[in-house]
Amino acid sequence: MIAEETLVQELKDQKSQAKAFEVLVNTYKERLYWHIRRIVLNHDDADDVLQNTFIKVYKNIDGFKGESKLYSWLYRIATNESLTFLKQKSKKLGIGDQELKDRMVENLQADVYFEGDAIQLKLQKALAELPDKQKLVFTMKYFQEMKYEDISEVLETSVGALKASYHLAVKKIEAYLKAD
Amino acid sequence: MDAFWRLIHTMKKDKKNSFNTPEGYFESFNERLMSRLGQDETDASESIIPKTDGFGVPVGYFETIGPTILSKTTTEKGKVIPLRAYRKFYYGAAAVAAVLIIVFGLNWNAKTNPVTFDDLANTEIDAYFEANASELTSYDLAEVVALEDIQLNDMLEEDLNSEHILEYLDENVEDVRDLNLEEIDYE
Repeated sequence: MIAEETLVQELKDQKSQAKAFEVLVNTYKERLYWHIRRIVLNHDDADDVLQNTFIKVYKNIDGFKGESKLYSWLYRIATNESLTFLKQKSKKLGIGDQELKDRMVENLQADVYFEGDAIQLKLQKALAELPDKQKLVFTMKYFQEMKYEDISEVLETSVGALKASYHLAVKKIEAYLKAD
Repeated sequence: MDAFWRLIHTMKKDKKNSFNTPEGYFESFNERLMSRLGQDETDASESIIPKTDGFGVPVGYFETIGPTILSKTTTEKGKVIPLRAYRKFYYGAAAVAAVLIIVFGLNWNAKTNPVTFDDLANTEIDAYFEANASELTSYDLAEVVALEDIQLNDMLEEDLNSEHILEYLDENVEDVRDLNLEEIDYE
């Protein structure tokens, strides 16, 4: 695997850019897809947002100063793109954020790319009730198994605050799953 | 009863309390809290939360998405078309035309009144905010807009008078201490 600094240098160099971008896409496409998918839930939407994310990365790579790690910069763009996508979607449909989240979960039942059982569907309902930040922290920690230090760089939040958010999210989800 | 209030009064004046904490309690508090929060990770194996979330992708999706993205980024930048010498003539003509338009345009505009904020219809302002969703929440706005600069009544359809305020407080405030009013010592 190519070192991050080398990859960034190659991405900024016109001669090596195309090849380096291919490496970048192949390295991160799957991780970013799952991150986006857990926010937008639907495969087609996740596919759109993933493509937009990489196009944005490609156009803005010269602006990447290297102050944060490359992967956290990518995750930040993916997170912002996903949340903006949902905002635009709710506006287009003329409904509020919470109503959109409820509809997204309802649509999962008919989604051919959702193979979840009743408990997994209930988990999505519980996640839809959480504030955006808590939901992000929970999915990044629980399903993506990211370290708190890495999540901290992506969400620009202290590790202590993330631990507290995760703790609250777990308690709320467990309470939701236990309830009838 | 008087004796009780005198005791409270004395306690308040002394600002001392008779409670104590174990040695080093506050120094080690953060560490103990963090370790308890970290316990969530080890507890995960016993949690009722399912280990997977049931999402799937179409067969071969990750093999095809790479080339799809790469094809989009190569067309995004496009090919640079070199400038040709004869185009300079067109630029010259366009520059002359632009100067003429600006000169006549400025004279024309000088005769008409400038557009002011008052000329905007409320519907246009509403439509602008509708079409350009602000990322700011009401809390963010409250932080950036100084209250002295605007009158609350400017934003309300009906003027807010003391009768409305009292009615609201009467219906919504259960404990007057919720208002966080400045405490005044009447002694």
